[in-house]
Amino acid sequence: MNAPAGFVHETVTYSGDESFLDGVRGFVREGLERDEVVVVVEPRPRLELLRDALGSDAPAVRLLDMTEVGANPGRIIGVWAAALDRAVREGRVLRGVGEPAHRARTPAELAECELHEVLLDEAFGGGPAWRLLCPYDAEGLPPAVCARAQRTHPYRSGPEGPEPTGGGLLTAADLMAAVLPPPADVVLRGEFREADLPAVRRTVATWARSCDLPPERVEALALAASELATNSVRHGGGGGTLAMWSEPGAAVVEFSDTGRLTDPLVGRRLPDPTQVGGRGVYLVHQLCDLVAVRSTPDGTTVRITTWR
Amino acid sequence: MRASGPMTEPALTGSADHVCWVHDDADSFTAAAAGFLAAGLTRGERLLYVGEDDGIARLRREPGPLGPLDDLVAAGRLTLLARTDAYTRDDRFVPEDQLAFYRAATRQAVEDGCTGLRVVAELTALAADPRTRDELARWEHLADDFMAGGSGMSALCAYRRDALDADALTAVATAHPRLHVPDEVLPDDVAPFSVFVDDGRVVVTGCVDAFGADRLHRVLTASPLDAAELATLDLSGLQFADAAGCRAIASWAQDRLRRGQEVALSGASPLFARVWRLLGYDVLVPVVPQRGSA
Repeated sequence: MNAPAGFVHETVTYSGDESFLDGVRGFVREGLERDEVVVVVEPRPRLELLRDALGSDAPAVRLLDMTEVGANPGRIIGVWAAALDRAVREGRVLRGVGEPAHRARTPAELAECELHEVLLDEAFGGGPAWRLLCPYDAEGLPPAVCARAQRTHPYRSGPEGPEPTGGGLLTAADLMAAVLPPPADVVLRGEFREADLPAVRRTVATWARSCDLPPERVEALALAASELATNSVRHGGGGGTLAMWSEPGAAVVEFSDTGRLTDPLVGRRLPDPTQVGGRGVYLVHQLCDLVAVRSTPDGTTVRITTWR
Repeated sequence: MRASGPMTEPALTGSADHVCWVHDDADSFTAAAAGFLAAGLTRGERLLYVGEDDGIARLRREPGPLGPLDDLVAAGRLTLLARTDAYTRDDRFVPEDQLAFYRAATRQAVEDGCTGLRVVAELTALAADPRTRDELARWEHLADDFMAGGSGMSALCAYRRDALDADALTAVATAHPRLHVPDEVLPDDVAPFSVFVDDGRVVVTGCVDAFGADRLHRVLTASPLDAAELATLDLSGLQFADAAGCRAIASWAQDRLRRGQEVALSGASPLFARVWRLLGYDVLVPVVPQRGSA
């Protein structure tokens, strides 16, 4: 895959604080010198480190906490899309730093970060020109994650600026076809069709309560379940399968059907007000801690994880 | 606040109640009609029964707590009217004509010293007929507005389940704040949500998901209160709304705003308020969550 014109998505690997600052500070300063809109989305310790290092330049940079706005990696494209819209409206160029795959992520989250990285190019390739630098923490992340970052970014930082990472780029279709890890615990499973939608909501809510989730999370999960069950009814062959199980520190709900998701970006950006559909999956991404979507010609699976 | 929600006992109803009585057999309906009318009789209301001839004959045979119907008719307390006489003019069904009829009948009842007008209407035939079904649903909302406004009219509208397809039944049931269904049926299966008028507000109760969202939009747009300069939508009884349900409300609100009419949302749950904001609809109409009772 060639780098999309306009959007330059590059990675930089760092080891320790100084190395992080070396990789990021110059990129940020260059953006400020060019009067670009600079947005940094990092987990809090790195955010503080960069703020201190930028000194009097820090107030000119929009600093967002990745553990908040990007807690679910499926929400991050929406953050960048909003930042890009705003910059374009102001007639300025956007420059971003984003570290979705940080050391506090679980393996399930890191898998979604990888898909997110690939989808960034699908989302912004062909659009307005802007640069996004993604630091990868060689000390805090499994080596395989850092190695794979070379295959989810068309560019890496080089001494003269971004240079191509070379071939072997992963595609959204590759990652969407990956099989999710099997459940580690007993699974409650049931089939549903249109008439069962209220029962799906009740079943998920009852189960979520039994997992000791607080009432507001139970309600949010029931709503997310309703959206996904609706999609299975509407686009997945008239119905699907609901599965629920516990994992250490998490409650998992999964919907499977025989439909195929044609747009891997669905639900990652707020749909245009005039658009009829697409709000359901968007809501699911906004309401849930972690959402994994996999789709092949054989069917679609959406797995929602709620941290306990 | 008006009574709303599922109900079983027709006698336990008030003077502004609007009940949808879904039934499977004529006998159970006759008993319910008698009980509903008898409760009005006790309160000094005038009674009106509108139905098919066989229904009228059945009520005559089994008047239950009403006692002999001829006595009530002779005393001017009860009128028995064939459905075709009450609900059609030149074979047409016109909701505005209906409203004029019931308005006059209620006024007359009060002028004659009664406390109000209590109506039982067996309207299955109108709901089953594709030519009258849409106007019937519109009429039910108009009638509900009239009852909600303290007119003194209350009504039990009966619909026979096995004579109607599910959509036709849902369309009429949605317009009633109170709903009775046969034992083995879930109220939510007949009408997942209801839209009615209370205290000058449009009230939505129940669950609105993607499969009911279009109907909600139609009902809101056809609401008698839609003409008002300000429409307040009371969401305190809304148990569930998904993205499509929120979109239906937002789309109705947007149409009103375009026409220069205002919209207010009250009683939203914290989750509704959150979803409303997430979907960007708060730029149209702000929503303040009610203090969660859960």
